[in-house]
Amino acid sequence: MKILGRNKLITPVIIQTLKTNPLIIALIAFVVMFSVLTPTRFLTPLNFSSILRLFVTYTLFALGPTIVVVIGSLDLSYVGIWMLGGVLLWLLMPILGMLSILVYPLLGLATGLLIGVIQVKAKIPSFILTLSLLVTFAGLAAWLAGGVPRPVREYAFITAPLIPRLPTAFLWSIPIIIAAVFIMKRTRIGTYLYAIGSNEEGAGLAGINVDKYKILAFTLSGLFTGIGLIILFQHLGGSAPVELKLGNLVWPLAAIVLGGTPLVGGSGGPHRTALGALTLAVATQGLYLMILLPEVVALLLGLLLVAAIVVGTRGLKGVTIT
Amino acid sequence: MKQVAGHIRINVTTVGPMVAVIAIIAGFQAINPRFLSYHGIVALVNNMSIYLIAACGLTFVIMTGSFDFSVVSILRLAALLCALNIDKLGLLVIPLVLLISVGFGFINGLLVAKLNVPSFMATLGVSFAIDGVGLYLVGRRLFIMGGERAETFMALATTRIAGLPSVFYWAMGIWIISTFIAMCTPFGRRTYALGGNPIGTGLSGINVERHRIYVFMLSGFLTGLAGALFMAWQGGGSMEIGKNMPVPLFASVVAGGTALTGGVGGPHRTLLGVMIITWSEVGMRMLALPDYIIMVFFGLIAIGMSIATIDRRRIKIIK
Repeated sequence: MKILGRNKLITPVIIQTLKTNPLIIALIAFVVMFSVLTPTRFLTPLNFSSILRLFVTYTLFALGPTIVVVIGSLDLSYVGIWMLGGVLLWLLMPILGMLSILVYPLLGLATGLLIGVIQVKAKIPSFILTLSLLVTFAGLAAWLAGGVPRPVREYAFITAPLIPRLPTAFLWSIPIIIAAVFIMKRTRIGTYLYAIGSNEEGAGLAGINVDKYKILAFTLSGLFTGIGLIILFQHLGGSAPVELKLGNLVWPLAAIVLGGTPLVGGSGGPHRTALGALTLAVATQGLYLMILLPEVVALLLGLLLVAAIVVGTRGLKGVTIT
Repeated sequence: MKQVAGHIRINVTTVGPMVAVIAIIAGFQAINPRFLSYHGIVALVNNMSIYLIAACGLTFVIMTGSFDFSVVSILRLAALLCALNIDKLGLLVIPLVLLISVGFGFINGLLVAKLNVPSFMATLGVSFAIDGVGLYLVGRRLFIMGGERAETFMALATTRIAGLPSVFYWAMGIWIISTFIAMCTPFGRRTYALGGNPIGTGLSGINVERHRIYVFMLSGFLTGLAGALFMAWQGGGSMEIGKNMPVPLFASVVAGGTALTGGVGGPHRTLLGVMIITWSEVGMRMLALPDYIIMVFFGLIAIGMSIATIDRRRIKIIK
């Protein structure tokens, strides 16, 4: 009887969770599918730590932009901050020493603030603005670096292994994820941003200073990207690329959309992005472990992305599209 | 005099690009006397042709207030399909790639109009899938066309007429037709109406969803044509085709004065925008400036012209 009683309570909770996060089913399906297809390669500790590494990359890039997607805009500047910051770090290293890693959060903050102010005052669609800024940053980075990546070796301790098999970057990313979820779910800022995302005009009429909070959203996005990059810089090899690649841009966005933060804004959030990043990491890693041509993997991932976008924007009838 | 000043102030997005084109020509000519020599002009004309065709397609999409990110991917795939199949199919390859490009445009339109996916994300996703197809077909190889059939195909774009390559005449012809479509046909007027006020357009009895799909198909068609002519003009290529194209292409549409909010501008303006972007690129390359400085320049132009063209009186909320 006791067990039955517990079941009565637990089952609805599970069903409710699965209803609100259908992605969990997809995640389990992916894990089962790859475990069956390639059991000897997929179910290994090495593979799980690779998945966690990918997860860290996707999540830390996607956390900041998620906040902007919640208000219904887009922020593509993260790759630009990564590239330009890496070069600035290399330039500042002889002058500031170990402190120069702070260039990432500061650059992120400044970029976010700049995007926010231009977007709110000049009213340009945010994806065009951030895309153009990204190209400008990429050009500046290549200019300052002289066209070749500049590695910085002093920060290897950030990702030095602490627990065997568990990437240290994963441990560092946990407090950042918690901070983002806390801001969006437990503070007034988060509530206001969700309100702006679901109905900007209404939020303004309700007395929220929409412009201020939109600038704040972009600033937070830049800041989270900057903080995440402190870890990612070393995690991704201790140097930043100086050549712009579309692939670097797409996968964090895919994690956001797959996680279930609709691009029209108003719902979703960082917790969903983390789940989306995990699913994407499992899918990517699983596909690479199957013996397929790399071209086929690219094609399948592209189709997965389209499917995620279509599923992620389902049920948005009557919304103005841009 | 006062009237003229007032007119210029109101029509800054019309007058601005013309002034910019003259300034670019004068500036580069002053620095580099070979800018307007015969070979210089051929280089200018060569570089602007492909851009102009693709940008005309993109202009129609931007006129409706949407965005097409897949232009460069469709162009690349169309060009590579031409190179792959020219030996088997001969000139029949052109209708084939046009059909495929229109098909991708149709998918874009379907995602945007029927499934309500924001056009930026929809076309980005589609462009990724297209690149996957391209990689599957081509891999990392470089294709150089050769043989009798390839010669006829390449003659389409490289024959000299009055000293200029025929790809230029193709581009000008397509530009004139695009302008005619935008200005003088119901299709064009509907496109303007759709960009200006989608809800009002729907209420006045126009099938908005279907028209959006048509516009994306037109963009796919022109892009496919640009891809085929690109291959005929270059005679070879790999997956690297158009790697640096997305931002300059988009910048050339807004630099001409087509606002991202839709309903304003048109293909006739895109000609000036393409001149600004590609001619300054050629000028900077003639001065042997490195790629990344050109990138910074394009990024700043894109931001600046986006700010300048948007009609702030009309819009209240912008995402």
